[in-house]
Amino acid sequence: MKDQPDRLQSRARHFAGSAIIRSRPIKFRLNGRTISGFEGDTVLSAVIASGYDSVGSRDGCPLALSLRHAPAVLPLAHRDNLAKALPMERTPATDGAQYVTLGAGRLAPLSAAMALIKPSRSLDLDLDDPQAMLQPWLDSDAETGAETDLVVVGGGIAGMTAALAGVKAGLRVTLVESSLSLGGYASLYGSQEGEEAPDQSIQRLVAAIAQDHTVYVMLGTKAIAARPGTVRVHSVGMVGGVPAGRILDIPTRCIVVATGVIERLPVFAGNRLPGVATTLESYHLAQQFGVWTGKTALFSTVSNASYRLAMLATDAGVAVGRIMDGRTDPQSRFIEFSKAYGITMASGTITGEAKLAPKSRALLVSPQSSLHHPGPAETALSADRLVVCGGWQPDLTLWHMAGGESQWNPAGRLDPILKGPAGIALAGSAAGYISHHACLRSGKAAVAQVLNRRSISVEERLIDPIYETPDDPAPSARSNVESPAPAYLDGGQSYIERPQRKRSRWPAWLPFGAKEASWSLADMPHPLAIADIVAGTQLGAIPAQSAGVVAQERVALIPVGRRDFRAEKAAGRSPDGVPAYLLCRFGGESSICLKVSSDNRRLEVGALIHANADESDPHKAIGVVMRVKEGETLALLAASALTRGSAFVREGNSPIAVRLEASA
Amino acid sequence: MIAGLLASVHKKSVLFQGESQSGYRLPRGLELSVAPLTRPESWSLLCKLTRETHKLLNRVGARGAVSRIDPIFYAAMSEGIEALGHISHMAQAFGVPAERVRPHVLDEGQQGFVFRDALLLHRATLEPVLDRWLLSLGVARAPMDAPLVLKPDGSTVVVADDQGYEIGQTVLADDGAILGQLSAETWPAIITAHAASTVLTETGKPLPGRLMYQLDSGLVLSQQFRRGLVALGPGAIEQVGQAVAAGLGAQRIRQAGQSSYQRIVAVDRAPVVGRVGGTGPDLVAGFGLSGAFFAPAIARWLAGTGSPEEKEWFAARLVDRDAALSSVAEWGDPL
Repeated sequence: MKDQPDRLQSRARHFAGSAIIRSRPIKFRLNGRTISGFEGDTVLSAVIASGYDSVGSRDGCPLALSLRHAPAVLPLAHRDNLAKALPMERTPATDGAQYVTLGAGRLAPLSAAMALIKPSRSLDLDLDDPQAMLQPWLDSDAETGAETDLVVVGGGIAGMTAALAGVKAGLRVTLVESSLSLGGYASLYGSQEGEEAPDQSIQRLVAAIAQDHTVYVMLGTKAIAARPGTVRVHSVGMVGGVPAGRILDIPTRCIVVATGVIERLPVFAGNRLPGVATTLESYHLAQQFGVWTGKTALFSTVSNASYRLAMLATDAGVAVGRIMDGRTDPQSRFIEFSKAYGITMASGTITGEAKLAPKSRALLVSPQSSLHHPGPAETALSADRLVVCGGWQPDLTLWHMAGGESQWNPAGRLDPILKGPAGIALAGSAAGYISHHACLRSGKAAVAQVLNRRSISVEERLIDPIYETPDDPAPSARSNVESPAPAYLDGGQSYIERPQRKRSRWPAWLPFGAKEASWSLADMPHPLAIADIVAGTQLGAIPAQSAGVVAQERVALIPVGRRDFRAEKAAGRSPDGVPAYLLCRFGGESSICLKVSSDNRRLEVGALIHANADESDPHKAIGVVMRVKEGETLALLAASALTRGSAFVREGNSPIAVRLEASA
Repeated sequence: MIAGLLASVHKKSVLFQGESQSGYRLPRGLELSVAPLTRPESWSLLCKLTRETHKLLNRVGARGAVSRIDPIFYAAMSEGIEALGHISHMAQAFGVPAERVRPHVLDEGQQGFVFRDALLLHRATLEPVLDRWLLSLGVARAPMDAPLVLKPDGSTVVVADDQGYEIGQTVLADDGAILGQLSAETWPAIITAHAASTVLTETGKPLPGRLMYQLDSGLVLSQQFRRGLVALGPGAIEQVGQAVAAGLGAQRIRQAGQSSYQRIVAVDRAPVVGRVGGTGPDLVAGFGLSGAFFAPAIARWLAGTGSPEEKEWFAARLVDRDAALSSVAEWGDPL
């Protein structure tokens, strides 16, 4: 395991890695570097297990490698063929494969040689180059897939319930899941007394789907666009033992969107440095692949789920130094359990800043009071990893693409307006449901909704807030002018930073004093993730009442099923007659069309015609060169020009003598 | 701008219902000091008003919202190329430098003119300045969701912040306001509402000009910060997206944002002003690319203090004009 420094031991109870087979080690190459893993790994999980936790630098600052921020890879043999690009997080790792990242193709040998001299934890991409994180499958043409009755997007408990409800209703069902296994994240959140445990629910639903051969399951498949009647997916599958991507438009009568949640990133300087990871991602990598970066960890959260992750990490041998909670005096059964584990807790505390410690892999984390008034400066804490959680935002990306709407919830998130486009419904946490029971039930309710059947009520069963404190909105630390690292609004590829006042010794009210950087989200030349919109709303850049419409406007819409509008537009245009914009210019209906010609030159359309050579006032023009048709230059003139045999056309400063004749 | 001018120059008591959204919403129009105009009286007015508007913006502290730009108007179809000739010659006649674009700059079959030294207003910078200006002038603000009871005589009752306002005369100066306030019964025959869309794309290769207007399709392409591209044009999002893709040739660019909305245009594509039914609310619509530059003249006309030239111009563009044989028709986007 020396070659996989960030792989947990096989005896780590919950985090042994349910997807990997440790008895089957594999090796492959990425940018010329050797990556070790196990069968069942994705390219990304093996890369992280091998000790790489940074993608490269943006504006001189390193950014973490993560599920939501990983570059596409190309097989070395097809390094110039973008159509062969694959997402690291959905591509199964295979023994002997050779890949290059999109942004590092040419520099790969150099980068590998440098890695031998000085071991690096970074893939060394230049993230200032927009091509570095390109996802070519988003712009490629699609094949048409097999028609189906219901496409369920998301293979968590709500999606699986919806798929089985669809089968029960006699539908042909396609279940699309972006990861390489079904189940989602329900097991992190736990269950309530009297409920089926999430792990049991997952096992039951996975078994039912496996037995029912009418559900076509597409793993490693991400829905990248949707509109009523069609879902576009990018699927990674094995073709001849080699991973290969495919883009399909799946025609379907109904769509259930069960895409779950996006985890919000608390806003503080250094929130995307290597070593900073979100709760869901940390759980996914550890639970599926036994991957955990570092031996020591700090947690910074506003959600109870982080306490459960901290306990599981402790079980796996990770030393959890502290859990900082932005809520004051939070209550939860997980908090009580964490106390029993002996984990130190600090409520009313958020992360103020994270920095890379010099000459080590550690992070230096500065805690900050979550109260508005600044408290005394706290000592920075050191750990290999900082696990953050800024709460949950229903992932409405596909919903917005399909024409669905959302609205601001004062609790600090966008909630969907559940009545959406015909044939499309939301289920599970994407629909805003929280409890295990509600998520399960909402799968059935969504199918009933798309089939226009009697509605099924969904009831949330939540523990009293006295015993289970609800999540807080994602915290935002006070801006720190000293910090070299930016504070990002989200962990994806939009790279929106919180504007930061530049350091200055002059007060801001002076004309040359430091000013807050101007911040126009409308000018950002890339799609905004829903978490960017929510963070922008919390920071006051977007009024709450406009947040929903902005989220819909700024989603990366991919046109599905193109019509040729050009052909439609070309029809019905007539080239004959005086154009409307010249009507009445020279005396209303009495204006005339004459042929105009000059011995010396070809006259320009639009040039004004004057009665004498000295005249240049456009108000006093008697006509205009209207068009050139079949070699004849036609002019529109005032009726009085009929008696004139000549006039002057003005092109620039020079008058040109012309003859006026009746047109053929 | 109209509200501010009415309050400051014309000493009117003004209540403004509107929201500055340019910082976070996609644009629905541009403010450019050249436009596809073919009427001499329109160019004459626009040239004078451009200077006046520029001075006004400097005075209110919006110097940073104004930039100089060389927009390119271009066309490939015969009708568009003809119109381009008329527009460019008219511009030159009024002293606006317009030069033919060299053939290799545009695609094969396209012809274009570059208009030198035009002014472009940056709305995201301008709006906060105008908001502060309105505040300093004591212009009352009504929130967007404040109900507005419009009466046939053009007066309005608005309740904002628990305070009732009786407005003597209402000005509907925005497409959204016209669509929201005018009923089907009072809808003037001269104007129609049509779908239009804005598409924002990711970074692409540089365009021949920072701002390009294609006459054939009505598509406006504006290269933004970090080479993002804003495209505005008539039709659905898909239609505009396709027009952008066609315009950019082999270059594949991802959409980074999009919105669809209704745009008010006159049947003859000329601006529309005046009171609905002779006594109702005042409409200001169809000013196209150069709307903001007409604001000082619109404010004077509303206050009844316009010059004879302005009065004549506005009188010819009244909302009750006959579109059948319009003497003010302009080149306009295909619908």
